[in-house]
Amino acid sequence: MAPCAGCFLLAVMFSASCKAITSSDQMCTEKEANKTYNCENLGLTEVPDTLPNTTEFLEFGFNFLPVIENTTFTRLIDLMFLDLTRCQINWVHEDTFQYQHQLNTIVLTGNPLIFMAETAFNGPKSLKHLSLIQTGISNLEFIPVYNLEQLESLHLGSNHISSIKFPENFPTQNLKVLDFQNNAIYYISSEDMNALEKATNLSLNFNGNDIKAIEPGAFHSKSFQSLKFGGILNLSVILKGLQNSTTQSLWLGTFEDSDDQDLTPAMLEGLCEMSVESINLQKHHFSNISSTTFRCFTQLKELDLTATHLKALPSGIEGMNALKKLVLNVNNFDQLCQINAASFPSLTDLSIKGNMKTLDFGAGCLEKLENLQKLDLSHNDIEASDCCSLQLKNLPHLQYLNLSYNEPLGLQSQAFKECPQLEHLDLAFTHLRIKAPQSPFQNLRLLQVLNLSHCLLDTSNQHLLAGLVDLRHLNLQGNHFQDRRISKTNLLQPLNSLKILSLSSCDLLSIDKQAFQSLGKMSHVDLSYNSLTGDSIDALSHLQGIYLNLAVNSIHAIPPLLLHTLSQQNTINLSHNPLDCTCSNIHFITWYKENLRKIEGVEETMCANPPSLRGVKLYDVKLSCGITAVGIFFLIVFLLFIAILLVFSVKFLLRWKYEHI
Amino acid sequence: MGGVTVFLLLIWTLISPSSNGKAWPPHTVCRDGNLEVFYQSCDPLQDFGFSVDQCSKHLKSNLNIRLGIVLREDIKELFLDIALFTKGSSILNFSYPICEEDLPKFSFCGRRKGEQIYYAGPINNPGFEILEGEYQVLLELYNEKRSTVACANATVICS
Repeated sequence: MAPCAGCFLLAVMFSASCKAITSSDQMCTEKEANKTYNCENLGLTEVPDTLPNTTEFLEFGFNFLPVIENTTFTRLIDLMFLDLTRCQINWVHEDTFQYQHQLNTIVLTGNPLIFMAETAFNGPKSLKHLSLIQTGISNLEFIPVYNLEQLESLHLGSNHISSIKFPENFPTQNLKVLDFQNNAIYYISSEDMNALEKATNLSLNFNGNDIKAIEPGAFHSKSFQSLKFGGILNLSVILKGLQNSTTQSLWLGTFEDSDDQDLTPAMLEGLCEMSVESINLQKHHFSNISSTTFRCFTQLKELDLTATHLKALPSGIEGMNALKKLVLNVNNFDQLCQINAASFPSLTDLSIKGNMKTLDFGAGCLEKLENLQKLDLSHNDIEASDCCSLQLKNLPHLQYLNLSYNEPLGLQSQAFKECPQLEHLDLAFTHLRIKAPQSPFQNLRLLQVLNLSHCLLDTSNQHLLAGLVDLRHLNLQGNHFQDRRISKTNLLQPLNSLKILSLSSCDLLSIDKQAFQSLGKMSHVDLSYNSLTGDSIDALSHLQGIYLNLAVNSIHAIPPLLLHTLSQQNTINLSHNPLDCTCSNIHFITWYKENLRKIEGVEETMCANPPSLRGVKLYDVKLSCGITAVGIFFLIVFLLFIAILLVFSVKFLLRWKYEHI
Repeated sequence: MGGVTVFLLLIWTLISPSSNGKAWPPHTVCRDGNLEVFYQSCDPLQDFGFSVDQCSKHLKSNLNIRLGIVLREDIKELFLDIALFTKGSSILNFSYPICEEDLPKFSFCGRRKGEQIYYAGPINNPGFEILEGEYQVLLELYNEKRSTVACANATVICS
């Protein structure tokens, strides 16, 4: 009888143990329930039965389907997107997609196609995108013409196409994108181009074709959204060929691995005979660059001279009054003034990033650019002990400034007083030297976004962010705070309009309960990658409906009193915390399961304690703590049993005593 | 007993790598007097081919390479991470953009998932001297979604 009593006790104690459930994986990965599936790299020879009939987006690349025909996809009548990349398809038979009326994208990249039937693409009501990249096509007649009336993009790259002439009955009226990259096109004739007459706003890509000649007049009075002739040796052939055409954007850049001929003013003369808004000449070399080099650039609105080995732009370029955007990234300037900015008085957007040498900021080099709105000077090793009034002189309309990834900048109070209209300022990864109590951003009343991540700030300076009355988004990632805590009075207090705050990777141990008290409008708080514990959540008790990221911290438990604060938020990420899955944390675990729809990163939110549950996902944990009904029943039975035993033994003892009197 | 075997088998199938688990064969990039370079693909999905036109401890600048691979991802943006180790300790880590939206350095930038690529050309490297010793190099090519395009574990033995 006694061992049995022990069993009862054990049963009571073990009822507080736990269970974990694991779910079995499907073959294809579900990305969106009943709609989006990825079945790539599975060596499948047919559509698996596990895929629901309602599948709309199917990535089926790198499987094995030598033949596709009308029975292959019968069941999937809701398909909209079908990717059959590299499925070793040889044959596309009649009416393969006859039941897929919603289908708008078919990707057949990398299949060794032998034949496609005339009616191969029949079925879809509005087939818009077709990719036939690297399918061995040498002749455009290979593509069946039926049911392609709605086609908007056709990708024919990496084939053996030598003539772009489409068959007469090929429907081109809706075509917007036509991609012939890496083919064998040497010559473009008038006849070729006339076959594309019906298309409007077309973007044509001839990158990686060695075009030797264009028939004069082939592009005459035609207009394009974009034309790309990347990697071409002789630009004058292209520019002459484009005579009397109209193009929004013309890409004439070259590459590291392409042969290059120096650009001379004579080669660029063709530009005078055509209308173009935006040109890219990346990676070319200019021979003897002078103001005449740009003689035919007068109508241009955008010019991209990325990595063109420039040491300076010539002074006295005339007639480039229309230029709005200039890109001079990855060049060899020593000093900012060498761009001779005065030649581009209408410029609104200037980018000089990733200069190959240390760039000297100079003084007032951009002062003639009164209309400048956007300036990118990132990745330039710029160093300045007193920034930026002198350097950014007379930029009254500047709205966007990027000085990230530079060498140390010393900022005084009102450092940006020359650009009072700034809305967006990026100083990430640039060491800022600011002496307390200076307020470098003082006059930036319109500033909305400020990125100060990894700026090695002195965060004890209470006035650092003074004056930023309209700031919505502040990134302080990777900065450190005194004693590793954010105290009641801190530099964030003036930011009454703040909505988005990032304090991730700041090495924080704690946040005072009232640290964010003045920040009543926040909707997104990122505190990930710190060493915060559950108590810090108290600092958010006055906020509602926010996105809260607490991933990768030191949260073991969350006190029951703070669960209310969590409940009033929209989305919470608690992944990668050493969470406690014992009864001491039962309130939080119960709350967690009840609020799973608010949780981000559930798969990475796991227990760290007790050791038996380490690595178990929190939503799988089943704890029953305290004494359950069954437990109480067993306990009563056990106590009853002891009482009866006691009564009997007393009785027995008394009787024994009597008998021996 | 049979039950235990079945259970162990089940555990084995659960923890072993999905498809085959076999490693790709090691390949020789070059072997020349006092320099040997080997690599092995660490992409579980596929192998790739790679060679260099010259092999010497005085590494020339702007080397020519040959590379053959099937793309499993679009490479509108492509980045290279290199980690260099010797005797188990890390010497050098760096990251380098090869293809970017606003600066496609090479002609193959912008090619699509499923395309087979053969590149024979310069890589624009600086020249340097390789010091004697044995080095492990981990190279990874990935795109803007951080999806692996290629991965190689290389060994350089310089004597």
